[in-house]
Amino acid sequence: MFRSRVATLGAAALVLTACGGGGGEAPQKKTELSLYNDKGAWTKYFDEMGAVSKQSIGLSIKPTGYTDSAQYQAFIKASFRTNVKPDLFTWQTGGMLAEIVKQKQVADTSAVWQEAIKAGDLSQDLMPYYTVDGKQYCVPMNVAYWGMFYNKKVFDQYGLKPPQTWDDLVKVADTLKQNNVKAFYHTSVLFSFVWFEQLLAGTDPDLYDRLSTGQAKYTDPGVVQVMERWKQLIDAGYFINPGDKTDPADVLKNGKAAMVSFGSWFNTSMASRSMKAGTDYDFFVIPNVNPALPKTSMIFESGPLCSLTKAADPDASMRYLKWWTTAEAQEKWSTSRGDVSANPKVAIDDKALGAVTKDAGSGEYRLVNRYFEATPPPILTAALDGFSKFVTEPATYMEVLQTIQQAADEYWSTHQ
Amino acid sequence: MRARAPMLGRFRYGYVAPAALLVAGLLYAPFLWTAYLSLTRYDGLESPAWIGLDNFVKLFDDAALLTSTRNTLIWVVGTMVLPVGLGLLVAVLSYDIKGGAWFRVPFMLPYALSGAGLAMVWSPILSHDGVANRLLGVDTAFLQDSPYNTLAMLLVWTWQQLGVNTLLFVVGLQSIPKEPIEAARLDGASGWRLFRHVIWPLMRPLTAVVVGLALVAGLKTFDIVWVLTQGGPGRNSETLAVTMYKETFVSSDYGYGSAVAVMLTVVTGLASYLYLRRQVTAT
Repeated sequence: MFRSRVATLGAAALVLTACGGGGGEAPQKKTELSLYNDKGAWTKYFDEMGAVSKQSIGLSIKPTGYTDSAQYQAFIKASFRTNVKPDLFTWQTGGMLAEIVKQKQVADTSAVWQEAIKAGDLSQDLMPYYTVDGKQYCVPMNVAYWGMFYNKKVFDQYGLKPPQTWDDLVKVADTLKQNNVKAFYHTSVLFSFVWFEQLLAGTDPDLYDRLSTGQAKYTDPGVVQVMERWKQLIDAGYFINPGDKTDPADVLKNGKAAMVSFGSWFNTSMASRSMKAGTDYDFFVIPNVNPALPKTSMIFESGPLCSLTKAADPDASMRYLKWWTTAEAQEKWSTSRGDVSANPKVAIDDKALGAVTKDAGSGEYRLVNRYFEATPPPILTAALDGFSKFVTEPATYMEVLQTIQQAADEYWSTHQ
Repeated sequence: MRARAPMLGRFRYGYVAPAALLVAGLLYAPFLWTAYLSLTRYDGLESPAWIGLDNFVKLFDDAALLTSTRNTLIWVVGTMVLPVGLGLLVAVLSYDIKGGAWFRVPFMLPYALSGAGLAMVWSPILSHDGVANRLLGVDTAFLQDSPYNTLAMLLVWTWQQLGVNTLLFVVGLQSIPKEPIEAARLDGASGWRLFRHVIWPLMRPLTAVVVGLALVAGLKTFDIVWVLTQGGPGRNSETLAVTMYKETFVSSDYGYGSAVAVMLTVVTGLASYLYLRRQVTAT
């Protein structure tokens, strides 16, 4: 009896061992790298990049795209403790990057950065977004400048021109309103922060920065005034319903709203709807609310492409990241999506965005880190919920600010 | 036959082991892990830090959780009244008539839809410039204003679940003995009186199961809310299950999310136990 029990347990142990996989395996030599990302809609473009990289450096990629960022982040965090590790993965700069760097999970890319800057493939200005405690991690998967996309046909129909000042923008919105056209898109889901960051950065960018680092409060008069201005715009009837589930690209295409504020990656969505930049739609830089500011504030974001310290083939992953920064890779990546590139050598076809990229590179704008990356994750979660509530019930702005500040107080009490 | 018995006895643990390991590994171990996490501060990256009952204390001081609890209660009452009540009505009206099965088909079809399909169908209907507002000639934000958004989603849920409850009740109606009904009819009972005093009591065991399932479904409502409103705007349509998910995976507060999960498990277990015990005693 005892022997049979031992045999049974032994068999079970063997089964479990077989299921568990081996630890401490020797590094593999990979020719295909898995690329996990939260950009499920971009699989086609990652596939195209894989074909180019295979020819160029003998490494192809197999993209696995998530569409739910919460699920994606949970998977990546779980992969740190399991054997299912991505060779490459997308992430976010700011607090999210610092969080995983602290866990010693992300591979150091300082050497790649130094070499790329020397070769002119990356700009020094981007470096701070990828620097944690003096070292660089990941490389820019994409960069994006934020501004206003507008439906050209609607603008032409009512004789409107891209505004040069904030007052001009409000006049454009008024004209559209008189013609029963909603001027602006906004939403209660995920991107509920867009108008907050735009109004705050265009009113007082220093306050925006202080708010991001816990040196200012959401209940400070400057922030309250921004919410009041936002409320005035909503009350004036310029916005479409925030609960509208129509894809923003369709909103702009169908003229449901004449203007949609997003990052330059929105070009990809427009291109996939056969909308031509410069003909069907165009882009303008959103003027500052405060005309006294020396530079126009422009929201900027950059999404990282990373590899793990414990990747299956760390050399191959690093080789891929290095290749990703080159002009050859970025030319393809930028052209296929119609978006701007992190590589200054790469020019894009879209005239308006090309001009913005050039001006941004020459210091014309005050670049402001996007709220999503600039705000620590626990405060961001409270803020996204708060702004979501505000856009549907604008009168609740003080309550919303107090709730966000509560989360901020809790966070900064342990993270200063 | 007698020769095989000792062999079976000798290997009996071996036969049971795979199933027992699966249950222990996939059900009990995660539950115990979740219970442990509920007593810690854990962001999914650093090691869990023991904080005792702090997460449970926070539960009672969380305004969002109060809204979730209220919405969950609406879901519980709603799922027990609407899909079950209307399912019973459709079953009673259709089980004894010619072509009744065809009458029930339209109620059954929505059950085949996934949660995502449900959102695809109902989002354009309930959106601000959607079909519902145009048909009713009103200007209501069905998926935005609380608690109307919960009620609107409850109607969608009813639309999907009604068919399966109808089916269960039809099976119940077809399986009850005919004799007491015939006897009651001979005694002059018909219509509402026949249903109330004869058919309904005979169906009680089945009703107990259907209502019990609805109770649990109401308490763990997640997918329909997630696909239609994601618990918003703000957090005004969250249920306890949505709060659990958001705290854990969106806010990366695994400890607090686990505390919500433990609370939800205890409430569901307790409610099911009390309800079923009452039903068993009554029957």
